[in-house]
This record gives sequence, C-alpha cells and structure tokens, in this order.
Amino acid sequence: MLVIGIESSAHTFGVGIVSDSKILANEKEMYPIKDKGMIPSKVAMFHIKNFSKVIKRALEKANIKIRDIDGISYTMGPGMGPSLQVGELVAKTLAKELKVPIVPVNHAMGHIEIAKHFGNLNDPIALYVSGGNSQIIKKFENRYRVIGETLDIGIGNLFDNFAREAKLVPAWGSTVAKLAEKGKFIEMPYTVKGMDFAFTGLLTYSKKLIGKVPLEDICFSLQETAFSMVCEATERALLLTNTKELCVCGGVAQSKRLKEMLSKIAKENNIKFGYAPDEYNADNGAMIAYVGEKLLKCGISKNVEECSIKQRYRIEDAIIC
Amino acid sequence: MLIGKGAEAYIYLEEMFGRKLIIKERKKKEYRVEPLDSILRAQRTKREAKVLYLINKNNIPAPRLIAVSKFSIYMEYIDGNILRDIEITNELIGYAGSYLDKLHEINIAHGDYTPANLIYSKGKLFIIDFGLSQITNNIEEKAYDLLLMKRSISKELFSIFLDYYDKNKNKGIIERMQEIEKRGRYMIRTLA
Repeated sequence: MLVIGIESSAHTFGVGIVSDSKILANEKEMYPIKDKGMIPSKVAMFHIKNFSKVIKRALEKANIKIRDIDGISYTMGPGMGPSLQVGELVAKTLAKELKVPIVPVNHAMGHIEIAKHFGNLNDPIALYVSGGNSQIIKKFENRYRVIGETLDIGIGNLFDNFAREAKLVPAWGSTVAKLAEKGKFIEMPYTVKGMDFAFTGLLTYSKKLIGKVPLEDICFSLQETAFSMVCEATERALLLTNTKELCVCGGVAQSKRLKEMLSKIAKENNIKFGYAPDEYNADNGAMIAYVGEKLLKCGISKNVEECSIKQRYRIEDAIIC
Repeated sequence: MLIGKGAEAYIYLEEMFGRKLIIKERKKKEYRVEPLDSILRAQRTKREAKVLYLINKNNIPAPRLIAVSKFSIYMEYIDGNILRDIEITNELIGYAGSYLDKLHEINIAHGDYTPANLIYSKGKLFIIDFGLSQITNNIEEKAYDLLLMKRSISKELFSIFLDYYDKNKNKGIIERMQEIEKRGRYMIRTLA
C-alpha cells in the first residue's frame, strides 16, 4: 500500500511516502524561525507557498506518480490551528482528486510509532519531548496513555524561552547544548512529582541568572537539571509499569546528551532502548505516512467531509490498531 | 540483603543487634552529573528523615526512624504485603484515607500516595516511602496526593477513601484536586 503523509502542525511542512512500512521519501520545508518565534498566520502562509514543491520533491524521491498513491494521511493535531489547516486542506483535496481513502493522524503517535519502528521495539515506554510537549506515554490495549507529563510548559519551550531571553541564535535547543559543553554546574529548582514534572520554576530561575554568571554555566545547569527531571520520571515509569523497552522521540530527542542519559538508565535496568534518526525526530511527514498506512490497513479511514483538525488533540483520544 | 530497587533508592533488609531493620540508600545515578546527583540524594535523604521523624512523633502508622547518614536512612522493618498486591477492601482504603487526613493535618504531603506505598501487616496498615514527601501547607501539594490515589484505584474505592479522608474538613483540597484535573493539560490516568 502506497501512502502519502502530510505534516504541518508547527513550523515544518513535511511530506512522507511509505509503502509496506518502508519509507520511500521524507521531504520537508521549515519556516525560518527568527527571534520572535512562530507567528501562526505567517507559518500557515509559508506552508501554503511551499506545499506543492514539497509534495513534488517527495514523489520524485519515491520515484512514483501521484496517481500511484493508495491512501492519504495528515496530522490532525495537536498543533497550531492555521498550520494544521493547511495540511488538512491539502490532504482533503488530494483525497478527493485521487479518490483514495484518507485518515487523520495524531502527531504524538507519529513520533512514537516511528521511534518504535527504527528502534525495533514492540511495547515501550515512550518519552515524547518536543517544543510544546513533554510526556511519558505507554500503550494499554489499543490506546496510548499519558502516564506522566509536564505540568506547565514543554521542555523545548523551556530552552527556547530561556535562549530568547539570553539573546541566543536559533535553533535554540542546540545553541544551549553547544554552550553547555563548557559550563559548570549551578544548583537550580528541580521539580518532579511522581511521574510528572514542571519547568517554569527552572525557567524563571535561569532567566534571573543571565548577566550574573557565565552563560555557559546557566546553559549547562539548565540542560542538566531539565533532562535529569524527565529522566527521573521516565525511570520511575519504567519500574512502575515493569516495562523492558524505552524509546525517546520528538524534536528534543535529537539531543545527544538526553539520549546518553537515557541509555545509561536503560543499561542499568536492563532495558532495550531505541530511537529514530534525527530527521524523524524533528517533525516530518514520513511518521504521519507510516501511522496512516497502519491505520488504513486496519480499515480505519474517514470520509473527506468528516476530516477536521484539533489543536489540542490528546494521544489518549486517538485509536491505534 | 537487597530486597528492593526503587527508581532512586536501594532497600536493604539487615539484622542488627538481633533486630530486623530496613536501610534505604539513595544510590548514585550514573545519568546525573555531579554535584547535582549528590545534592539531590543528600537533600532527599535529609528531608525524608525529617518527615519520618515528624510522622513517628504524631503516631501515624509508619516505620520507626532509627538513624540517618548522608545518603541512607535506617528504619524499622514492617513485615507485610503491599496494598497494591492484595485485595483492597473498603476497610483498608478507609484507613488509607484517614491516614492521609492525619498527614495533611500536620502539613505533610506524601508525594506518592498510592497503594504501592501502603503496607498491610498483622491487621494494620502502614504508610511507607516518604521519598517524595514535603513538609508544606500548600493546598496544591496536598491535592496532588489525592489525585495520585484517584488515578490508582477504582471510582468506588476512591469515594470511600474520600469519606475517611474527611470530605468536609478538607473541602478546599478536594476542590483543588478537581481544579488540577480540569486544567487543560491534565487528564486523569489510571495505570492498568
């Protein structure tokens, strides 16, 4: 089954093509982020200008024609409304034109499933870390459940928000990581409650230190403290659910340091640890195509008229087979 | 003898002076940098010992504190079954509710108040693991204790739990729990 997947939940317009769980193409264009971050309407305009180009590139890469496509999937949410709408519209138009089935996909599920695919995992605890999301997720029967999460902001937003205040250059997460390499540790607020965690105390504290201590030290301590928090919650979740597999996914999963920490936890507890290559941890269309194909093969699809978006689409509300 | 391995501590059962006791040692975590690792372990050990001391002083059923070192707590051994692993009767969950009421009354939030941290021994229920406990009069922290328990047991059991927790006196805390649940990002989740 040849499925095309469209991702547009945030600054990336991504198109992936998958056939029998094999990724044939994963093309994307990213809205260039400057100091102000993302303005939803501008991001949506960017997607409108770029979608046909990205689709064409994906088709060329997969070496197929648009008429070969058997099914379409797109990101229903969570994400920014205006951006999501562009992807939805493109997907619906294609589905109508090509007369093929269409299925909406949960963005977080895309990240988790693609990490499972590359990590060769069956039933892991997933640590999903991105700009707006930080969740510990586990599948129970045919639904994913969030068993731990941030009580305030996403871990990516923590780094972005701090980096903007410190006038660093985007991409902020990697800039903070780079500066952190030369830093020394300063004690900072550390908030873990069971399997949940919170970042705003840490954010306020590190913002206040700007200009008073070396920036490298703040970056190092901020990163170490935040990662240690999610690692502690993840380890607790692994032990509590007695799970023997772990994956990390989402934009922040590109961090080498985070993966290093998690692999130490995995090693200590005799747990299999896996993740996707970086291009699939950043937002991408391939993961949406991948989940789309799975769903379509299970007979899950929607009428074009029923297709919609949902900005706050929780993974608990999405079915997987 | 190592008898348990939690997310942050190792639990040893030892015999000293003919008495069985538990040593809870906070182990070094390889994933954490120094000095963060030592800071967290020392802070938590000290805080937990203080909480245990207060709980003993107020005669709330829990292990007796024996001694403390930098990363270890020595306490009384309670021989019994973890509530999670046995049938949770209405009576037992009632005790769990009334104990939490007592904890909150002396301004202790347990931090991980679930059936995994209650032990049934010789006809009596005991609270264990104060690793995440805080001395605080913060309503939010107390409400969080309720929320964790709510997530871990059935609706029916939780309703009994609340009866014994003293619904009227702790109305504010219960309301805060409902408020936390309603916050956009939050969803009730029960571990299967």
